[in-house]
Amino acid sequence: MSSLKSFILNPTGHFDTFGGRYVPELLIPFCDDLHRAFFDCIRDKKFLRELEHLRETFSGRPTPLTFCENLTKHLGGSQIFVKNEGLNHTGAHKINHCIGQVLVARKMGKKRIIAETGAGQHGLATATVCAKFGLECVIYMGRKDYDRQRPNVFWMERLGATVVPVEEGDKSLRDAINVALRDLISDPVDTYYLLGTVCGPHPYPVMNTYFQSVIGREVRSQMEAQAKTLPDCIIASCGGGSNAMGIFHDFLDDKNVSLVAVEAGGKGITEKKNQCDHASRFETGSVGVAEGFKSFFLQNPDGQIKNSHSISAGLDYSGVGPQIAYLKSIGRIETTFALDTEVLEAYELLAQKEGILAALESAHAVAEAIKRAKKMKKHQSLVIHCSGRGEKDLFITAGKLDSENFKKFLKEQSKHE
Amino acid sequence: MLMTHIVAGYPDIETSEELVQMMADTGVTYIEIQIPFSDPIADGPTIMQANQTSLRNGTTTKDCFQLMSRLTKKIKTPLLFMTYFNIVHAQGVENFCCRVHEAGAWGLIVPDIPFDEEAEEHFLRNCKKYNLHAIQVISPLTTDERLKKIAKVASGFVYCVSRLGTTGERKALDPALGSYLTRVRKYIKLPLALGFGISSRAHVEAALTHADIAVMGSKVINLMNETSKGKQIETVQKFLKTIL
Repeated sequence: MSSLKSFILNPTGHFDTFGGRYVPELLIPFCDDLHRAFFDCIRDKKFLRELEHLRETFSGRPTPLTFCENLTKHLGGSQIFVKNEGLNHTGAHKINHCIGQVLVARKMGKKRIIAETGAGQHGLATATVCAKFGLECVIYMGRKDYDRQRPNVFWMERLGATVVPVEEGDKSLRDAINVALRDLISDPVDTYYLLGTVCGPHPYPVMNTYFQSVIGREVRSQMEAQAKTLPDCIIASCGGGSNAMGIFHDFLDDKNVSLVAVEAGGKGITEKKNQCDHASRFETGSVGVAEGFKSFFLQNPDGQIKNSHSISAGLDYSGVGPQIAYLKSIGRIETTFALDTEVLEAYELLAQKEGILAALESAHAVAEAIKRAKKMKKHQSLVIHCSGRGEKDLFITAGKLDSENFKKFLKEQSKHE
Repeated sequence: MLMTHIVAGYPDIETSEELVQMMADTGVTYIEIQIPFSDPIADGPTIMQANQTSLRNGTTTKDCFQLMSRLTKKIKTPLLFMTYFNIVHAQGVENFCCRVHEAGAWGLIVPDIPFDEEAEEHFLRNCKKYNLHAIQVISPLTTDERLKKIAKVASGFVYCVSRLGTTGERKALDPALGSYLTRVRKYIKLPLALGFGISSRAHVEAALTHADIAVMGSKVINLMNETSKGKQIETVQKFLKTIL
């Protein structure tokens, strides 16, 4: 039987009908160059040694796999573990593909790095590696995210990046991707687009899955060491799909490990004309082509892409990575969704039982784990992917969970100006 | 030869219809009618905003087909649909091409479906089947190797992007245009259209020293944006007359 693991990284970038490279001719030479550079790099021992070195000495890998004793007892079902990618440098899994891509960009001789960002985690990680490698850095961020993730804007600017709020369209992640693509079209020779998820034209989905797959490899050896077995189930939140592909990839050929991707259910699976109250592409989306790739998108019957909604900026995206769409289509992964309200409850429960403040993106995985662990047997095990830590969401979580005191605090602070 | 461009439904379908009619009457050789898309990645700010406004006004693909049908009954000028591949895909590639043919269009410009995806989408095959010219777009960075392949699938004319970047006005054209188009002509024997950044009579004249067709897009929309409603058609016509 052929390996699903290697098919997902195949050099054509097609996954049955999904994936591809649907870009204007202007971008084809860039995609071709990037394809060559990436596949050369991963065959180069020196490159792989440097990648490994940076993972250990800069990012702080391996990140821990933590057994959640209290949460396991509390729910009374399966054994629960958390893979804590929040303990990476910059606080989320995004640094994994940033380190990888910046090494590829350097190999290509690029001087200027651009990136889009939703929650700001990918932008922050990009700004960080650009500072370390002495490269010019421009981050595009939808105005909505720019405003709701102000702390990350501040950090990116401290790291020397220029952060550009995008005022077009829905002013969200999708619009930031479109503007970054236009920037790349204007300067495909000197600029490198450090795309932050497993979306976009080939080779981005393959490349980012490759760089993120370190997460799943670590989980495998950590589970073998701690529990002497593979997990029965792995749950990850899913926006574009980078953290999900990162933890799923190493287990694709282990058919007994069930893999669950949790989309943002937002305020519920309802929608008006152009605006969805959620970002659950597999609930109400359909196959389409946008931002350079073919996958599931929230769209109307004419093919106009609809706006999404989520409490977490990182999941607030109308499209999903082509590999995720393929794995769903062949039944290798399951998809489901968590509502904003469930996410906040899950965030609190994990914090109070285990002392881990998860990012709101990751809290979607926690919410699903709470539902699922109860239905599993005591000898079974479940891994929650905590892809990022929750400090960045202070202004959202405090606003929702401790509104009065937080407002008072902000008022007091502004008096001191 | 001059090719002009409009966004269907911008500012509204009636004005679009009058604009195309006027362009044909004024002597434009080809007219591109863009079916608006929510995520037009190859377009600069002017055309992108026109897309958004048209969609906000509720323009549908069906409205665009009907507009095309009405126009091709009245005028002889070859009309092309320009749009993005998701609009084609949403209707089904064969069904889309069939309906475009029935509406009487001459060709299609879909910038985000490179020939590399033909095996998956059969876009070129269906254009051929329904007698539509699938206009290929190339850029100064397109390699000789790709030019050879594009030459094999090209039909009607080939759209050469004058410079790196998206659609939109610029002050001057790239001085290296001559050598770029000479290289293209080595492989492509069809007429060449030159677009992106052409906004004045001087630009058109410069473009036509190298290419067969000059393409003007954003300029028309900018002119309309600067003009009060009711005078838009007249203003655009006055401008086109200075060029033709």
